[in-house]
Amino acid sequence: MSEIHLPASGLAEEILPRYKEKKRDLHLVTFNLGEEYGVPIHQVQEIIRVSGITMVPNSPSYMEGVINLRGRVLPVLNLRKRLKLTPKEIGKASRIVVAEAGDKVIGLLVDAVSHVIKVAPEAVESAPEEVLEIDTDYITGVGKLKNRLIILLDLEKLLRRENIEVAGVTDEGGEHGKED
Amino acid sequence: MEYSELVKDFLDDAGGHLGVFDSALLSLEKNGYNNAVVQTILGPLHTLKGNSGMMGYESMKAYIHQVEEVLKKVVDGEVPIEQVIDALLDSANVIREVLQTIGKDPSANPDLTQNIFLIRERLKGPDGKTSRKEIDLSSYLGAKTETIKVDFKRFDDLLNLVGELVIYKTRLNQIETQMRGAIGNKSLSKELSGGLELMGKTIAGLQEGIMKARMLPVLHVFVKFPRMVRDLARLQEKEIDLVFEGEETELDKTVIDEIEEPLLHIIRNAVDHGIEEAGERAVKGKGHRGVITLSAAQESNYVIIRVRDDGRGIDFDRVRETAVSRGLIKSDEVPGKEELVSLIFAAGFTTKKETTEVSGRGIGLDVVSKNISKLNGQITVDSVPGKGTTFTIKLPLSLAIIPALMVEAGDEVYAVPMSAVDESIKVREEDIHIINNHEVIRFREKVIPVVRLDTFFNISGKRRNRFYLIILGRAEKRLAVAVDRLKGQQEIVIKPLDDTFGKSFGIAGASVLGDGRIVLIADVVAFWRETLGRRNGGIYEGDNFAPRVAAIHEREQEV
Repeated sequence: MSEIHLPASGLAEEILPRYKEKKRDLHLVTFNLGEEYGVPIHQVQEIIRVSGITMVPNSPSYMEGVINLRGRVLPVLNLRKRLKLTPKEIGKASRIVVAEAGDKVIGLLVDAVSHVIKVAPEAVESAPEEVLEIDTDYITGVGKLKNRLIILLDLEKLLRRENIEVAGVTDEGGEHGKED
Repeated sequence: MEYSELVKDFLDDAGGHLGVFDSALLSLEKNGYNNAVVQTILGPLHTLKGNSGMMGYESMKAYIHQVEEVLKKVVDGEVPIEQVIDALLDSANVIREVLQTIGKDPSANPDLTQNIFLIRERLKGPDGKTSRKEIDLSSYLGAKTETIKVDFKRFDDLLNLVGELVIYKTRLNQIETQMRGAIGNKSLSKELSGGLELMGKTIAGLQEGIMKARMLPVLHVFVKFPRMVRDLARLQEKEIDLVFEGEETELDKTVIDEIEEPLLHIIRNAVDHGIEEAGERAVKGKGHRGVITLSAAQESNYVIIRVRDDGRGIDFDRVRETAVSRGLIKSDEVPGKEELVSLIFAAGFTTKKETTEVSGRGIGLDVVSKNISKLNGQITVDSVPGKGTTFTIKLPLSLAIIPALMVEAGDEVYAVPMSAVDESIKVREEDIHIINNHEVIRFREKVIPVVRLDTFFNISGKRRNRFYLIILGRAEKRLAVAVDRLKGQQEIVIKPLDDTFGKSFGIAGASVLGDGRIVLIADVVAFWRETLGRRNGGIYEGDNFAPRVAAIHEREQEV
């Protein structure tokens, strides 16, 4: 198990491509949301600072807004809200993880990006059933490291429409979405 | 389109079909019979036959028909492919030669009777001979084509790239302005601004070039209608001429694709309800043939498409009767002409029952009105009893880059497509009145509903006493959208919003401004929906926006 620390800026553009190639290894980008979460590194395009988010009215509450990434308009998902964690203000360490999920590219708003790590497959266990609820199948497992746990997320499942709508049921915007 | 251009199109097209035919034949010759390969020939050959007939090359049409017959026999297993393959290969050459002859002289109409006779002979049995006649090598190259077929998506990608280029250029301009004061070297900063200006011009040229490449003459849509009009007219025993005007006017392909259906409904209406039977026309002293004019013209950034008929005009009494009988208006209501015109666009006005009896207009016109709004366009109707009716559609030239009015509410900036905007006025808070809990304003002797942008989009911020109203038009109806400030007009590149999290009501898309900020584009259709629910009469009940309407009704009851 090896661990690579990101540059002080937390911007991983330079070092990410090196790790993208070896897809077979379980390479993760981990980030903090109170607990440490991780997504496969090959899904991560880049990590950017938070700025210029345009709010989109009549959209689900966990939809933070849209950003301009070199001319592309990307939706940004507030991961804390999506995972129903206590919301937290955007701070200096906050980052947007630009990730691919299926054929979509989205931004994930996180408290801070921690590491790029390599986890041996045998260190990953499925999440204990007792802590899972319905609609939490986006948690694919828990990576056990020496002194900490990393919750592994499946982005595609996180974005799946039925999940989103369950999560957004109290939200007016979500309902209008269905009309169209 | 000139006739010579039609011939050019025909030849380009034919060259492609012939190419498919050739390569399939070569494969058959080499690998023997293969049903899949034969099937690939039949489509192009059939198209080529049809096109030849359409262009008046009757002999060629008959010849290709004969070739098709041969292939049919092969498919049915009556004749082995080996027996006719030479004849088929010959036939490709015959077609090639004919195309070449036409290329040199479009009025030539080569007679192929002899060839038809020959190919029939060949079906009877092998004669072991291929035609020994000399071949013209250059005929294999075909005529040089001046057009290429390009997947439309490539143009979309190019346009997106140019859109980004425009954004970066604006950014550079801003940096340049900031730098001008900061650096002491005057001649250097002059050179920079000169360079930027040149780049700006080139980018503008590039953008225009790509926009042009995406354009098609509106004739592409127009040509679909003469046959429909003829058939519909014949069915109703009417005589109607469909006349084109300005059919060379060019429109972005995306718009071209979207206007077909609205035009179909309007033209159908003109045939069904506008034009009278010949007898009735004679009594009125009109020519016995009715005329429907389909015209297009460009006016600055818009295209105006008109469907004009010289028929009986809208029978407003009948529209009123129908509306009353359908419960759309009360029997003692006397709506004005404009109100009546807007009734024909109401969804409740059209039902299956309605279309069987010839009554007021209205078949599918609600759909028309909605589609036009979706395109950020406007539709208006002008009708003179006894003289005829004109439907006028105003559309943006392109759906990708549109002029937009930038407006501000609170701290948020939104873009409103200019084509939907009639005008904007400055008002005071006192000018707004409340009727039945809804805000309205008196505008040109009419009372029109007001939608507040800040309320609509949940934007917080202090309201001012003086603000602006943007007047939107849809058919004869008007609607005012209240905003804090107007920030001027600007061309914006529309980017669709990702719908991973559902579509956001009221947002048609987004655009990136020069400073990199994203501005959201307001969906004008949503404003109309917002006001739909305010009417108690229920003429909009049939509208498929029901969920939204229902929600608003509930709110009303609570109050």
